[in-house]
Amino acid sequence: MSDIPRATGLTRVLRASRGRSYPRIIGLFRERSWLFYDTVLPLLGTIAFVYVYKALGAPDRFVGYVIMGGAAMGFWMNVMWSMAAQFYWDKQGGNLELYLVSPCGLVPILLGMSVGGFANTLMRTVAIVVVGAVLFHVTYVIHQLPVFVAVFAVGIIALYGLGITFASLFLLWGREAWHMANLLMEPVFLGTGFYFPVRALGFWVAIGTSIIPLTLALDALRQLLFPETHPALLPVRIELAILGGLAVLFAFTARLSLRKMEFLARREGRLSLRF
Amino acid sequence: MLASSRVSPSLGGARHWWRTLRVAYWLGWQIESNWTDPFLFFVYSIARPLGSVLILVFMYYVVGRAGAAGLLGFFVVGTACWPFVVQGMMGTAWSLISDREHWKTLRYVYTSPIPFRAYLIGRALAQSTTAVSAAAVTLVVGRWVLGAPLHVATIHFPYTLVAFALGIASVLALGLMVVSAAILISGEAWRMPEGVGAALYLISGAVFPVSVLPPVLRTLAQGVPLTWWLEAMRRGLLPPGAVTSFPQMTDRQVLGWLAVLAAVWMVLAWTAFTLAERRARDRGVLDRESAF
Repeated sequence: MSDIPRATGLTRVLRASRGRSYPRIIGLFRERSWLFYDTVLPLLGTIAFVYVYKALGAPDRFVGYVIMGGAAMGFWMNVMWSMAAQFYWDKQGGNLELYLVSPCGLVPILLGMSVGGFANTLMRTVAIVVVGAVLFHVTYVIHQLPVFVAVFAVGIIALYGLGITFASLFLLWGREAWHMANLLMEPVFLGTGFYFPVRALGFWVAIGTSIIPLTLALDALRQLLFPETHPALLPVRIELAILGGLAVLFAFTARLSLRKMEFLARREGRLSLRF
Repeated sequence: MLASSRVSPSLGGARHWWRTLRVAYWLGWQIESNWTDPFLFFVYSIARPLGSVLILVFMYYVVGRAGAAGLLGFFVVGTACWPFVVQGMMGTAWSLISDREHWKTLRYVYTSPIPFRAYLIGRALAQSTTAVSAAAVTLVVGRWVLGAPLHVATIHFPYTLVAFALGIASVLALGLMVVSAAILISGEAWRMPEGVGAALYLISGAVFPVSVLPPVLRTLAQGVPLTWWLEAMRRGLLPPGAVTSFPQMTDRQVLGWLAVLAAVWMVLAWTAFTLAERRARDRGVLDRESAF
């Protein structure tokens, strides 16, 4: 028997979350080739879009837009492939059954995945921004640093809340999970304005796509980086408030959805359905 | 289906090849498409390329420079052709990796009495077929919704068809080349095809003329058949005077370079695969799973 005292309540949640985040954080340093791929791949795509703007003869600030989009892409890919579709991989590897029979439940597992995934992605995102800035001589001047940090933090919480919601939806799926995560790439890059100001989609369309937290987070961050030139969708403080609302909404949705989908998956016998 | 396709290995090589290719194509198509209903599969097939072209269109309108007007057609044709690269090249490698890691069938396929290359090419062609609807819809939307200059009267059909055939051959050659690397590695195998695809997206003039690239990358781009394929497709589909990557070259020269490079890369890919296969067998890693 283990000497570790039996944990209950919040202690158990925190301990389980820490346990699940550990492999993601430690994996950052152990698997060097992943560091290369996770940094270089988004960077190559980002550089391609920088050259598109260069071919179009765009002003330099658009290069900054693209690099920010490339950085945001890292978070979106992490949320889709390492949160939403993670239970699909776990089914293949046989881990999902272990999670389900453990006393902590799925929520702390997902929290741990979020924390570990965020830490892991943050390192790579910083690398993308730095390399992109050095390669293309982009300088960022952050106006209102506390607001910038608040937008980033609240946006990330809302984004990972959405990831947990997706994870519960994907719990029911087998092969479809992989295809669905694949489907939500370019259409989301388009809807959230990864490479251009989201206002260009039209006000109401952009408001519609704001259900994905990256839309408002990117727009607010761009307003704080390029205050004179960025065509804002909404004022920064309103966007921050909406992001806060989305964070709360997705936290509740994730909890409810997880409970419902776990029940359905158990009832329909899909929890161990691998293919 | 499979029983009726059974054929003795002693039969003529070409016939044996053709049977294997056909069955591998059928198998690949089933794997790619039967996870959902046809409508959702169609939506899935077109959503990503349409998303890509619309991103470029919005970038184009946001900048709103008069001198950039000719780039719209450039974007549309490049985006319409790119799914063939994604599916045909990266898909081939993923087919091998998923057979090895996910379905765990590679060892059975490999030890069966079929030409393994024919199997891989059949799977690659099935992957490429999934790109057809995406390309067609992108061109139709590009023409009638976005107003790209794609007019039936100015399309050079024979030129485009020859370029397309050579392009698919180039994609298959690149796919076989990537498979040659994937067969020898395990941990990075899932990411490597994506890395090659991203690098090619950057240097082959998929979404911007290669003349924008720094000289080193421009030189590199000229050695890749995809650059010439995309250039030839633009020359075939867009009217004369459209933006191209090599404006100083004639249409015949572009097609000539594409044919030469496609042939060179096919020979290289064939050789690379032969060597990689031999090495994988020597090292006993042909069916090594990485559990990633």
